[in-house]
Amino acid sequence: MDKAELYQKLAAILDIQEVKPENVLKDFETWDSLAILSVLAMADSKYGVSIKADEIRSVVTAGDLANLMEAKQK
Amino acid sequence: MNFIFHRKRISGILTIVPANERSFVEEMKNFNFPEARSLKLKEVMGFDKHRIVEPGVCVSDLAVFGMEHLFKKGQLRRDEIDALILVTQSPDYFMPPTSSVIHGRLNLKQDIFCMDINQGCAGFVIGLLQAFLLLEQQSIQKVVLINADVISRKTSSKDRNSYPLVGDAASITIVERDVEDSIIHANLKMDGSRNGVLMIPAGGFRLPSTPDTAVLEDVGDNNLRAKDHLRMDGSAVFNFVQTEVPPLIKSLLEFAGVSMESVDYLFCHQANRFMLQKLADKMGVPYAKMPSNEVEHFGNSSGVTIPTAIIFNLQDRLVTEKFKVCIAGFGVGLTWGAVLLNLGRVNFSEMIEYK
Repeated sequence: MDKAELYQKLAAILDIQEVKPENVLKDFETWDSLAILSVLAMADSKYGVSIKADEIRSVVTAGDLANLMEAKQK
Repeated sequence: MNFIFHRKRISGILTIVPANERSFVEEMKNFNFPEARSLKLKEVMGFDKHRIVEPGVCVSDLAVFGMEHLFKKGQLRRDEIDALILVTQSPDYFMPPTSSVIHGRLNLKQDIFCMDINQGCAGFVIGLLQAFLLLEQQSIQKVVLINADVISRKTSSKDRNSYPLVGDAASITIVERDVEDSIIHANLKMDGSRNGVLMIPAGGFRLPSTPDTAVLEDVGDNNLRAKDHLRMDGSAVFNFVQTEVPPLIKSLLEFAGVSMESVDYLFCHQANRFMLQKLADKMGVPYAKMPSNEVEHFGNSSGVTIPTAIIFNLQDRLVTEKFKVCIAGFGVGLTWGAVLLNLGRVNFSEMIEYK
């Protein structure tokens, strides 16, 4: 999985310039239900990964999210 | 579960939408959100206009209004209705059945089979299957299928996850025998273990409505709603649809021996534009074949969205032409089902406003 590309996609969803692995998702003002839905859709369409909403809500940082998606892809 | 039906057809569709049109941009001030984020929501999800009943308007009001319209225009006679199926989740009463209320208000004959079905977004598929089953009886020649809901009355206006997309509406579909040797294929699935994904928790016998169940609670993301209100786990619904619907449609087409290329239109339940476009992407279906424009004009009116989308997109072509159509509904229950049929050369295809 190309994590740099994933962070770029995440930044686009959050309407910001850059997302770093250590960033806490809840600190972004735009991390809302629409962003979560957009991440679910992105995970499904780009990486063929089905994430549950509960799983995504339990994730803290952008890096955790990338790890979750990578683990699911295997 | 697979079904096959012979010699049955849809011979007319009428949709009734409330005249009261609301705009998401005007309603945004009700929600405790940054305006830019709400505009993003409008752009992505397709929230724009939706139709909401005036206070006090019930399902039987919309249904009777539509039926009287058909009687007046000579498109339906009272004495030829052998069965009346009402699919709704917002009945006038717990008892009697709202189909009986409609039967009484319309002075229909006593030789008739009236029934209420409690179903939501798969309600058009469920209603059609029930109509086809009833038509297997010799005594039943013509079935009136009414899909109707006024779910806005059970949705919190402070819940941005649900309120901007709900719409109220009714549709009347006439289902009867076909003189041609037509074949209809269908596939239906249910999973009650996920019944909590879409629900109104209070107001039934398990949790009766009290002043406590009417109290607005902060359910996260600045959304306020009460236990008396519709609750939807949007992400779970999204995953459900993306996971279950593509294999359902694939298996239906295989069962019928029909390729997706030979299907003219795929009319899915109009949940929202985002979900439908992701679904189309996943199935490799061009957007032109799978309309997703109903919600932005009328709102999501559960079982009524499919007939509304058919009329809105095909309009008069439904009277003059015939199409191979796949219809797919999915939602509360959870329930998901699809029907493959030839649809067209109907006697009427019309949308009217309830005032």
